[in-house]
Amino acid sequence: MILRTDHVAGAIFVALGIAVFALSGDLPFGTLSAPGAGMMPKLTASLMMVCAAVLIMFGTDSPPFAGLDWSDRWHAVLVVAITAVATASYQRLGFLITMTLLVFALLVVVERANPLRAGAYSIALALSAYWLFGKALKAPLERGLFWL
Amino acid sequence: MDATFESLLLGFSVAFRPDVLWYAFLGCLVGTLVGMLPGIGPLAGISILLPITFGLDATKAIVMLAGIYYGSQYGGSTTSILLRIPGEAASVMTCIDGNAMARKGRAGAALCIAAVGSFCAGTFGVIVLTLIAPPLAVFALRFGPPEYTALLVLGLIFLAYMSTTSLTRTLLMATFGLLLGTVGIDVMTGHFRYSFNIAELGDGLGIVPVAVGLFGLGEILATPSRQVVGDVVRPRLRELWPNREEWRQSVAPIARGSVLGFLIGIIPGSAHIISSFLSYAVERRVAKHPEEFGKGAVAGVAGPESANNAASTGAFVPMLALGLPTGPVTAVLIAALLIHGIPPGPTLVNDHPTVFWGFVASMYVGNLMLLALNLPLVGVFVNLLRIPYAYLYPLIIMFCVIGVYEVNHSVVDVWIMLIMGVVGYGLKKFGFDPAPLVLGLVIAPIFEMSLRQSLIMSNGNYLIFLQRPIALVLLAVSLGLLLMAIVSFLLRRRDWRAKLAEAEAAESK
Repeated sequence: MILRTDHVAGAIFVALGIAVFALSGDLPFGTLSAPGAGMMPKLTASLMMVCAAVLIMFGTDSPPFAGLDWSDRWHAVLVVAITAVATASYQRLGFLITMTLLVFALLVVVERANPLRAGAYSIALALSAYWLFGKALKAPLERGLFWL
Repeated sequence: MDATFESLLLGFSVAFRPDVLWYAFLGCLVGTLVGMLPGIGPLAGISILLPITFGLDATKAIVMLAGIYYGSQYGGSTTSILLRIPGEAASVMTCIDGNAMARKGRAGAALCIAAVGSFCAGTFGVIVLTLIAPPLAVFALRFGPPEYTALLVLGLIFLAYMSTTSLTRTLLMATFGLLLGTVGIDVMTGHFRYSFNIAELGDGLGIVPVAVGLFGLGEILATPSRQVVGDVVRPRLRELWPNREEWRQSVAPIARGSVLGFLIGIIPGSAHIISSFLSYAVERRVAKHPEEFGKGAVAGVAGPESANNAASTGAFVPMLALGLPTGPVTAVLIAALLIHGIPPGPTLVNDHPTVFWGFVASMYVGNLMLLALNLPLVGVFVNLLRIPYAYLYPLIIMFCVIGVYEVNHSVVDVWIMLIMGVVGYGLKKFGFDPAPLVLGLVIAPIFEMSLRQSLIMSNGNYLIFLQRPIALVLLAVSLGLLLMAIVSFLLRRRDWRAKLAEAEAAESK
C-alpha cells in the first residue's frame, strides 16, 4: 500500500485528538444538559478525529506522501530558527537591535546577500520602523537592556 | 427609506471630516499595496496594522482597516495582470485573462477594466449594504442565544458546503479551529483549559497571532525567494482607456459579478475567493466565444474582479447587522471594534450611529479614492513590484513580529504566531485551507457560550432549538445542506464545487 498525504495528515489529527483527551483529564465533562468545561473540547476533538478517520479511509486519491516537495524546507527551517532567536531576545535586546539583527540574519544567512548591503538595508529598515511605530504612531516599543 | 437617507447623510458628515478622510485614504493606499505584494494578503495586512489603530477612535480605526480590506481587492489585480502572480488569493482568476491581455499590449485596458469593475461592484455592494443592513439589524434584535447557536451551526455547515476543497477537509479544519478556540479560561466555570500554567494563555489564543502566523509567516516559509521570479509587464499608460468594444464586453460581466459577488459575500467562508472563481465559471458558461477564455477575454477580467470586490462588501452585512464573522478578515475587524469598546451586532446601528453610518459612507468615498489611486498611479505601484522578494520578506517578517507583539505586549503571542506559521506551512504542504480554522477559532467561544446559555434558559432541554421558529428554520437549512453535501460525497458526484476545485487546482499550478 502506498502511503498517501491524506493518510499522514489524518494520522496526525487523530494523534492530536488523543493528546487532547489525555490532557483533559481534570476537566469535568458535565452532562449533555449541563455541559462542563471539558465538554466542548472533548466533543470537538472527537469530531476532529472522526473527520481525520474519514480522511484516512478515503485518502487513496490523494498524492503519495513520498512525492511531496520539501525543497523549501531549509528556507523554512532557517527563517523559523532566526525568528525564534529574535523572539527570545526581543525583550532583552530591545526593538532596534533585535529588528536590525533579524533582518540582517535573514538576508545574510538565508539569502546569502552581500553583508555590507544587508547591513545598510537592515539598519535603515529598523530605523524607519522605529520612527513609524515609536515616534509617528507613539506605540510603546521594547527598549531592552541598552535602552534602544 | 427617509430615515436611511438621513442616517446616510449623518454618515457622510462623518466620512467627509478631514481626519476620517485621511484614514480612509491611508487604508486604501495600504490595502492597494497589501493586495499587490505577493505573500501578504488582506488578513495578514489588517492583523499586522491592527495595533496602529489603538490610538485612534473607533470610527477612524474601522474605516482604515476596512479600507485595507477592500483596497487589497483592487491592488491584487495589478500584480495578477502585470506579473501573472496573484497579489492575493481572490485575484487568481484575473491572472489568466488579465495577463493574456497584457501580453497582447492591452495591459492598460485590463487594469482600467479591473479598476472600473471593482469600483462599480464596490459601490453596488455599499448601496445594497446601506439598504439591507439596518432592517436586518432590527430583525436580529429578536435573536437570543438559541438563535445565535443555530446561526453559528448554519455558518459552519455553509462554510463546509461552499468549500471547493472537500467537506471532510473543511470540517477537519473548522473543528481544529473550534478546538483551539477552547484554550483559555472557561467563562462559565472558571476552569483553565490547556493553558499549561502560562498566564497569557488564560485569555485564549488571540486571532491576530494565529491569523498572522497561518497566512503571513506560513506563506513566507513556503515561498523561497528563488521561486519568485517576476517578469513585470510595463503598462503603456496612453493605452489605459479601453476601446468601445472592450467596454461593451465588460458591462454585463461587471453587472453579473457584482450581484453574484455580493450574494456570496454574505455567506460564511472565504467569500471573496470563491466569488471570483464562480464568476469566472459563469462568464465562461454564458460567453458566446468560450474558447477566448485564457487568451485575453475581457469578461475573464471584468467578472472576477467585480465579484471579489462585491463579496468583500457583502461580508460586512452579517458582520455589522449580526455581529458574526463570515471569514477571518471580518473576524479581525470585529476584534478591532471590540478593542475599541464597540460591540458589532444588532445594537450597533442605534447605539453607535456615527460609527455605523460613518463607516458605510466612508466606503462610498473609499471606492472613489481607490479608482483614483489605481489608475493614474499604477506606474508608481509597478515600480514597487520590482523590489526583489529576498529583500521584501524580511520586512514582512519584521512587521509580523511588531504587529503581533504590539497587540498585547506579549512575547507569548509572538511564539504563538511562530508556531502557527509552522502549522500553516504544514497545512499548505498537505493541501488544507486554513481559513475555516480561523473561523472556527473565532466562533468557538461565541458558540459555546450561546449553547450553554440556551441550555440554562431551557433547564437543559435541547428542544428549545426546535421550539423557537427562527432557530428551527436555521437548523432545518443546516440539515438540508448537510444532507446535500453527504449525498454528493457518498455518490462521489462531481457537482459545481468539484468542478470549481478542479479549476482552482489547475490555475494554482
